[in-house]
Parts: sequence; C-alpha cells; structure tokens
Amino acid sequence: MGYDPENPMKDRITDIGPPHYEKMFPQVIKDNYGKWLYHEIVKPGVLKHVSETGAECYTVRVGCARLVSVEYIREVCDIADKHCDGSVRWTTRNNVEFMVDAESKVQPLLDDLASRGNKFPVGGTGACVSNVVHTQGWIHCHTPATDASGVVKAVMDELFDHFTNMDLPAKCKVALACCLNMCGAVHCSDIAILGIHRKPPMVDHDAITGLCEIPLAIASCPLGAVKPATVKDSSGKEIKSVKVNAERCMFCGNCYTMCPAMPLADPEGSGIAILVGGKVSNTRSGPTFSKLVIPFLPNTPPRWPETVAAVKKILEAWAANARKYERVGEWAERIGWEKFFEITEIPFTDKSIDDYRLAYDTWRTTTQFKFTSHIK
Amino acid sequence: MATVEHKGKTFNVDEDGFLTKGMEEWSEEWVDYVKSIEGIEELTDEHRKIIDILQDYFKKNGIAPMVRILSKTTGFPLKRIYELFPSGPGKGACKMAGLPKPTGCV
Repeated sequence: MGYDPENPMKDRITDIGPPHYEKMFPQVIKDNYGKWLYHEIVKPGVLKHVSETGAECYTVRVGCARLVSVEYIREVCDIADKHCDGSVRWTTRNNVEFMVDAESKVQPLLDDLASRGNKFPVGGTGACVSNVVHTQGWIHCHTPATDASGVVKAVMDELFDHFTNMDLPAKCKVALACCLNMCGAVHCSDIAILGIHRKPPMVDHDAITGLCEIPLAIASCPLGAVKPATVKDSSGKEIKSVKVNAERCMFCGNCYTMCPAMPLADPEGSGIAILVGGKVSNTRSGPTFSKLVIPFLPNTPPRWPETVAAVKKILEAWAANARKYERVGEWAERIGWEKFFEITEIPFTDKSIDDYRLAYDTWRTTTQFKFTSHIK
Repeated sequence: MATVEHKGKTFNVDEDGFLTKGMEEWSEEWVDYVKSIEGIEELTDEHRKIIDILQDYFKKNGIAPMVRILSKTTGFPLKRIYELFPSGPGKGACKMAGLPKPTGCV
C-alpha cells in the first residue's frame, strides 16, 4: 500500500539495514572472493586482479563529480549493463569502477567511456591525484565558509593530467571541507583545502530566545569566548542572551552550529586555508595530521584562482623534490618544514604557529634547523 | 516567518514547524495542533508526563535534556518514547513542548 499520512505507522517497515553487499557482486568477484593472489596496474585507471583459480578481473576506474543527477547514474547503469553484466561500484573517494572478467572486454569499455566526451575520465590509480573528497558547500549546508563543488572542479581542472597519469612520487590525496567541522578527510590529507571564517559571530538578540538553548552555545566555544548576558532586544525588553568576546574568538563557528541566532559567514571575512602533510596509511611512517601552511586565501568564485594556484604550487614543488614513495608530509618532515616553506615559496606567518592548549609540543625545542632565504 | 492557525490561535513557526518564540507562545491548542501532524492518535498521561518534564527541565536549565536524562526521569525507555512520539524525542516531543529546534549536526 502507498503511504497513508492519516495512519503513518501502518505497514511501516524499519530497521532492515542496507542490502547485503554480496547481492551486488559481479560473478567473477563472487567466485574468487578471498582468493586473490596479486594485482597490477595495467595503465592509469585500469587494474588487473588475478585469482588463485586463474580468473582475472579488470577494473576500470573513472572520475566522478560526487554530486550527480539520476540521469548520470542511469548512464553509469547503461554502461554497466552493456559491459559488466549490470554490476558497478563506487570507491571511497567517490570514483566509479567498472569491472570486467576478460582482457578482451577492457578496450571496448574504454572506447565506450571515451566516446562520451570527458564525462567519464579514466584514471585515479597509483601515484596520482585521485578524486577530491569534499563536502556540501553552498549547495546544501548552512555553516560553510566556502563552496565545495566549485572549488573542487576548479582544482581538478588544473590537476587533471595528474588524475589520468601516474607521474608523481607517491599518491597525493586532496580533500576539501567547507568549514572546520572537517566533514571528510581534510585533517589527514596530503593537501587539504579548508573553509575558514575571520570575523566573530553577530548575535541576533531578537531571535535568540525561541531559537537557541543558550547553555549549549556557551559550552560549544573551545575558547570560552561566549558568555551569558542579559541584554535588551530591539523593543527594549530585557532578555537572556549571550555576549561574544571578540578578542578570544577564533571564528570556528561552533556556536552558530548550536545556535542559529549567531551567524558569522561574511563575504570578505570567510575564505580558504591550505593544510598539507596528512596521511592515514601506516606505510613507512604512521598516520599524521595535516598542518596549516597558508592561513587565508579569498573566496573568488567561480574559479578560485588563488586556491588553485596554491595547490598546484605545493603539488609541483613536492613532485619535483620528493623521493619515490614519499608522501607530501614525509617529504616535508625529511627536509624540514622551514625548507618546505622555502621550496614552495609560501611566506611563513604567525598563523601557522600553534597556540591552542597542547601547542608547546609543536614548537622547536632543538638547535637543529636549516637557514632559509625566502623570507626577507 | 510562517504562521499556523489552529482552533482560533495563531502560532509563529519556522520551516520545520517549531515555535519560533518558544514556550512564550506555547498553549494547549499548540499541543493539539502538533498531535494532529505528528501521527499521535490520542494524547495520554504518558505524553503529558514527557512534555511536563521537558518543559520543567528547559525552564530550570535552559537546554533540552539529553535522551538518557529524559529516559531516566520519565522512566520510559527510548523505545517507549518513540512509541509515544513516532518522530522521536527531538522532532516530536520537543516540538510539542514548545522547546527550540534541536541544533548541531542532526
């Protein structure tokens, strides 16, 4: 039966969870589950897995905008129907993977993908820049300091050759979050693009009473800058509200998340910070957080040229200088961060010096350093 | 800001149907209105108990209680709260009690 708004609990199905993934397996995956011997990257975007039964699975990885229409998904399904017996999968970086069980089926699939313009760019494997893990931005969220889809498109247009080739020392993961809630992977990515604010919130005393649980707004502040206050609203009535100590505020926007009457986004104030050097894998060195290297770049839609140039500059400096297998963070740690700033020609500012609680451990407690020349 | 009329009373509500002025505008008519849109057939003493506890807690503390506190003070397990308010303690009970809309990553 269709949903009956008069009787919402009737015929209600709940707690059934996602369908079991095994139902969606291509036959070759089902038959060889847990039996894979080795794999190789045939060429950028094409993987080959060989099973102990001798079976082969070829995977073609294509870039995806993440934010897609049903039309796009139907087109992906059409391709999967035509070449892969109706099976397709998405990766954890939101690429699409088509799998076929014979080498002879690879080229027709690649030709088909290529015939659809640049809608399905093949790549994203090996030492490359794969897809950018990103967030909602101005498409859907209410706390962003920058856009997500727009910046990602501008950056990937510039780095496109690194998506379709494997010409880097190691893989370079790029991520974007549109505010420092950091939904996604910016805190642990080789190059991270992060939306930040630079102005304290404005308190709307007229609206705060019915909208906001004031103790939550106070407790949400990591620096204790939000204090309870009794103020007069615009009609002269005394109400309970909050006061923001602008000297203590670092514009994180947590209070706005908790209290809709404290907005802080600003066309000039909000923009982008760049962090580098994070990773999640345990290969060679352990996982690390990314570190702030560029404190502010303006929001310049639709192409964000400053951000694109900064990302490209960092990527190219790393690609030209790092050793094989060396991720951005490992490279920066080996040569020393002062050399990183010199080679990437990024001016070092006081904003990169940690001053939050456990900051001390991030300062230099040794005489070991290298002289650099780029800061006059 | 939208308004809702129910049984001769007018309420200021936001796009999700929460009272924008909070408990200042709350009344029995509001409870009746929310009942009609939240899939609640009959308002029982158990519904009343949850609303009273939410309102008392909010007046005293300025925040809505955490779910565990609501369960502990009412004696209703979360399952029972969902049976009473199918949309849950936030969207259902807090709305009916005239508390502010839950915020954060919800």
